Amino acid sequence: MLDATDLRTLVAEQRAPTQGPGKKVVDVREEMERLEAKGEIIVHRIRPENRPVEVTNLLGRPKRIPTDRLWHHKSCGQCGNIPGYPSSLLWVMNETGRSYLNEPHQTSCTAWNYHGTATSNPVALAAVAARNFHRAYETDHFPLIHCGTSFGDYKEMRKLLVENEDVRHKVREILRKLGRELVLPEEIVHYSEWVHVMAPEIVARRVHDVSGIVAAVHEPCHYYKMVPEDAVYDRRFFGGQRPAPPSSIVMALGARVADYSTWYDCCGFGFRHILAEREFSRSFANLRKIRPMVEEAHADVAITSDTGCVTTLDKSQWIGRAHGFSYALPILSDIEFVALALGAHPYKIVQVHWHATSVEGLMTKMGIDWPTAKVEFQEYLRTLKEGGSPDYLYPPRHEIERYFAINKGPVLPEEPPRPGSPAVKTLTVKEGSG
Amino acid sequence: MSAVARLSRRTLGHTEAQEVETPALSLHGHRDRTPEERELSETMLSEFHGDPRYERFVLGCLNCGECTSGCPAARFYDFSPREMLQVAIHADAATLWDAMQEKIWACCQCYSCTMQCRFGNDIGGIISVMRELSVRHGLESARRTLAPFGRTFKLLSTVGTQLSPDMIQPEFFRDWGPTATRIDATWGVPLEVLRKAIPIDVLQTTRAAWEVSVQTSLELFRIYEETGVLDMLRGVDPDLTEMLIELVDERREEFEELKEQFRAELAASSAVRPVSPG
Repeated sequence: MLDATDLRTLVAEQRAPTQGPGKKVVDVREEMERLEAKGEIIVHRIRPENRPVEVTNLLGRPKRIPTDRLWHHKSCGQCGNIPGYPSSLLWVMNETGRSYLNEPHQTSCTAWNYHGTATSNPVALAAVAARNFHRAYETDHFPLIHCGTSFGDYKEMRKLLVENEDVRHKVREILRKLGRELVLPEEIVHYSEWVHVMAPEIVARRVHDVSGIVAAVHEPCHYYKMVPEDAVYDRRFFGGQRPAPPSSIVMALGARVADYSTWYDCCGFGFRHILAEREFSRSFANLRKIRPMVEEAHADVAITSDTGCVTTLDKSQWIGRAHGFSYALPILSDIEFVALALGAHPYKIVQVHWHATSVEGLMTKMGIDWPTAKVEFQEYLRTLKEGGSPDYLYPPRHEIERYFAINKGPVLPEEPPRPGSPAVKTLTVKEGSG
Repeated sequence: MSAVARLSRRTLGHTEAQEVETPALSLHGHRDRTPEERELSETMLSEFHGDPRYERFVLGCLNCGECTSGCPAARFYDFSPREMLQVAIHADAATLWDAMQEKIWACCQCYSCTMQCRFGNDIGGIISVMRELSVRHGLESARRTLAPFGRTFKLLSTVGTQLSPDMIQPEFFRDWGPTATRIDATWGVPLEVLRKAIPIDVLQTTRAAWEVSVQTSLELFRIYEETGVLDMLRGVDPDLTEMLIELVDERREEFEELKEQFRAELAASSAVRPVSPG
């Protein structure tokens, strides 16, 4: 009869990684070390200046979350129709004294399009991921992924690039034509994980009491159902049975997180459906998410941490009135909720006016003087309309960056790094970074 | 009719003659296929089982149905991830052909099925492989399903993101309500002014999710060229694909002119990455 120690030993012995087409590896990070030693890839490591905080993933293995010197990997859906999502994140980073780079030299991950239309393939997806990884690396900032689908896709692509020699070779050749190298980050990090580990610093800056707020949390599917082992779990939250973010920050701020029976369901986004077959998206969102959130959890707000989820849950509610669904449940991302609780301007920073379902009632309950803020914002719009200059969260880019991906940090060595050799050489920063 | 005649033809070893005589949607559920379609479906089955992802995604099935119990699409469509996995496991071109007409497009790609599967099958992933096959071979069902996505393809190919604020028009998103689709009227200023009020420089545009530098968007297009994505697009919408190629060619010419315009500043920055002309 084996005891637990024997079992662990047995599992450890069987964890010997395999390598080659179609072979699964147990811990992708261990295999990355081996590939780097062979000169096949460069690992973008989290360094002390990234001020990492260690948490645990689904399998109980450590995952380091960098908190400083970050490269913002933006989300199409957030930037396109929920702009308060990224602006809240950058504002909180400013408040907590974290440095970052937010630049125009990032492409979409293209995974929304892939999951909706299949007009791509693994080599293309992996090449796009690796292209953006390399750009972050050459600026010497660690990538922070805003979108849940980009996060899921990049976890898959990193795994594919490690496991599949053929894909790795093809992607390396494409990158070479772009003047780039194959770089894989030590960790794929979702912004909600940054929020999770920053909780103590965030809570210390809270200005509004949210203890009277009841929140229903929607866990984004692509955060924890794609490559599940990379998601962050913590025994302090749901006994480690559900991912820690974004519930952890809502609880840390003092709000109540109420459970509901369909917490596991997706939001109804569907990728293809939200653009071309919304009968499904809005039916699913109203019947399977909004209704239980209100009727079971009696929620004041739904909190989630992904682009598609905020979009679907928020924008599906107006049409629901045609069938008697008049819940009007505010839908916020975790970071928008954080920014509001920390006293960010509801319109200039959190940009709540882009939400289809009104957030004003929630703000009243949080003690936020939104009518005054609204008048201020209307005046600000008038100024901008007359040609006034906008306010910025960081110095705006130089004109040349509209066209050229000017390098801002280290560049790659001419030869792939060998064990014991320095990975990068540093150039002077040429353009203003955030 | 004898009891045997009512059984699924998969159990009967039916002849080609029988198959040709089968009505468009017979009791055993198969669609009729022309000889060309039969040949194509056999080719697709072969490609499907030869895809390197097949062995990683399809590991076995107990038919327990856990995947379907958590599937959002199964609640609203004639669709079941358990059925899709069975289709993937069984080497039956007719069944694969049927599934690829409509059912594969019902999937939400949420991966709830994958997370719940006791066998560790990646069911969402294998459905993606089926979809890719459908697009690559230009099936009519794929063309029809993807007809509304021309704008997305254009955005990705030309500006590097897949959504733009000016896409949210009342005629296409009427069900989102006036706050979402008439934000300019709500606040009494043009959309451009509302975007200017976002305190992030690269978001102050209406034509892309964020302003992607020209060099960066050309790199994405180069990836599409190198990986056969344009050929896939061509199978779905050849006219659109040719238009995109022309647009990007013009953009490349503009980019070369910009290099001249910014020659002095570029010379001062030795770290500008080259973009191959393609």
